[in-house]
Amino acid sequence: MGCLPIVNQEFLRIKPFSQTKVIRFLNDKNVVETQEITNKSHPEPIRLGREKSRTPSDKAFSGTIVIAALSSLAILVAILIYLASSSWPVLQKEGLDFITGSTWVNSSANPEEQTFQIWPMLYGTFLNSMLALVIAVPVSILLAIFIVFIAPDRLSRTLTVLVDVLAAIPSGIIGLWGFLVFTPVAEGWSKLLNQYFFLIPFFRNDQDQFARSPFIAGWVLAIMITPIITVVAREVLSQTPQELLDAARGLGGSLWGAVKFVALPHARGGIVGGVMLGLGRALGETIAIYFVLNLIFEKVNYFQILNPQGGAIASMIVAKFGEATPDEIRALLGAGLILFLMTLVVNLIANWIVARSVREKIA
Amino acid sequence: MTSQVLDTSTMKPQYPWKKSRPTVVIANSLIVVIPMSVYAFFFFFTDLPGALIFIAIFLPIQIAMAVIMTIVALGKRRVGDAVLSVLSVTAFSLVLALLGSVLLSVAARGLPAMRFSFLTQNNIYISPTTELTYGGVGHALLGTLTVVAIGTVIAVPLGIASAIYITDMKGRLAGFVRFIVQAMSGVPSIVAGLFILAAFILTDFVGFSALTGGLAYAILMLPTVARTSEEVLKLVPKELRDAATALGSSRARVIMRIVLPTAKAGIITAVILGVARVVGETAPLLLTTSNTNGTNLNPFKDPVSTIPVYIFQFLGSGYESSIQRAWGAAFVLMLVVGILFGLARVLSPKGKAR
Repeated sequence: MGCLPIVNQEFLRIKPFSQTKVIRFLNDKNVVETQEITNKSHPEPIRLGREKSRTPSDKAFSGTIVIAALSSLAILVAILIYLASSSWPVLQKEGLDFITGSTWVNSSANPEEQTFQIWPMLYGTFLNSMLALVIAVPVSILLAIFIVFIAPDRLSRTLTVLVDVLAAIPSGIIGLWGFLVFTPVAEGWSKLLNQYFFLIPFFRNDQDQFARSPFIAGWVLAIMITPIITVVAREVLSQTPQELLDAARGLGGSLWGAVKFVALPHARGGIVGGVMLGLGRALGETIAIYFVLNLIFEKVNYFQILNPQGGAIASMIVAKFGEATPDEIRALLGAGLILFLMTLVVNLIANWIVARSVREKIA
Repeated sequence: MTSQVLDTSTMKPQYPWKKSRPTVVIANSLIVVIPMSVYAFFFFFTDLPGALIFIAIFLPIQIAMAVIMTIVALGKRRVGDAVLSVLSVTAFSLVLALLGSVLLSVAARGLPAMRFSFLTQNNIYISPTTELTYGGVGHALLGTLTVVAIGTVIAVPLGIASAIYITDMKGRLAGFVRFIVQAMSGVPSIVAGLFILAAFILTDFVGFSALTGGLAYAILMLPTVARTSEEVLKLVPKELRDAATALGSSRARVIMRIVLPTAKAGIITAVILGVARVVGETAPLLLTTSNTNGTNLNPFKDPVSTIPVYIFQFLGSGYESSIQRAWGAAFVLMLVVGILFGLARVLSPKGKAR
């Protein structure tokens, strides 16, 4: 203790060079270029990732990567351009009626009478998807809650795998199963609904036929979108902060209370986004619907979901493509354009919602 | 005295905090047993259909039992838990039943069609009523292989490049590219088919062929490959890149020699997942490859048959043996998808990427 002040005093006698002197010295010697020497103990981190490439080969590499990365954009734009341009004659001729009309007349002998309008299909797509959501959303959310909060660890891991397996089944196989195995079963359900709830207009059936109805199509779609919604819901539910759950439990709340007041509000954005992703998938589903739904072009089935009449744009394209005339193919391309725009908008909104809610979770 | 202290082998561990609650066990068994027996009673002794009994009798009784038992065993505040548990177990059973039904019916109806000739022979001289001993999916398997290979060759470099751009180069457009890739993953498969139809086939650039099918598949594969490889590339430690850069490697060298080899297993997983995602797609192939009964090994000319389209073709014709063929092909397709997903799981780095 005694000698320390003396040492310090010794040090204080030697004055350090001022900064300007250092710079002048370095400049005189041409050692480095003039640069500001600051007192910062931590200099700015060098961002290796953003460093400009220098050698020609490096530039070529970066350029290749950038071009390849932008290929997705190019493909999306090309889809838009090609579908729009090749269906333009039909779209121009029909105008807005292409979407709102419900006539489909194809006569190659008399081109003047040809009319291609897709409203029944468009509405049918909407109806099927809504039915699918009505079935899939509660099931998926309950399943996600079960996986995250209720099931024991092992069971929930197994369930996660099973949900992935369900997501992996090709739509053609779901269609095959839906047509040959599920339709007879669902016909029975339809008859029951019709028998007990015929007073409700939804469940009326004015034809004595219950197969190939929007109800069955909705179920088949629900099976295909349940894994999508479940995966997203599980992901966001499992990100609920543990402290909040512990706090809810510590305050004497039950599991239901924790789920209702903590987890679900926390995960709401993500779940909405997942539902939208499922909706996007449901709108574009083709083959499965083709087998389980009776496509009717001349009449719109607005709400009688047990009637064997319905529509779906994607399935219509497959159904009509086989013996389509060139003009009809243009109309189908137009229908594809409408479908593309619909799913694009739905998916962009969905991704935006999911990304925003995940970002909020991290922040 | 000392021996007593040291002899721990006979001492049983005690968990004083772990209460055994016989009431909970009884309650749980009653919640399951009583509704089940009521269901069985109605099912066997009345004509009511099973679905109706389940919705109108089984579920309400089960919820009621759960509520009553919860009040008895745990108190009023846990009633919500009971209802939530019953409903979520119902949802879980429903999904499991549907999944099981799909898998079992594919296995049960597809297996009888399985024989070696079914996998190797093609469809020439086969009418919808021909017996199953003749003909098979050989031509369709080869076709699927060709189409998937073309799709992979196109989509994988583009997908990996997008992932590199997003994770490694962190260019100004990284966020935008990710956004576009996500938007692209929502493109319906039929739209991809229509696009290839409009851009290549209707313009007489190429006819219906494996090439056009592969192009359509590439559009569908690209987002899957890009997103999965992005996840994988994020797992490569930053220290490796920094070390390579500090040793004077150019960016190209860092990526080609350090990042990609490190992430090799994950990138293979990404490719497999991309293939598994598209291999069962029917709709784009109906519009781009058309269909044929013979084997076509030329990928650039003439229609080619694929397994999904084969299923579509035989399901459409409606005869007994052709429907069996459809189930058989579905079994083969399911097997292919299963093997691909199994491979992806085995190869993926610590189950991080699925």
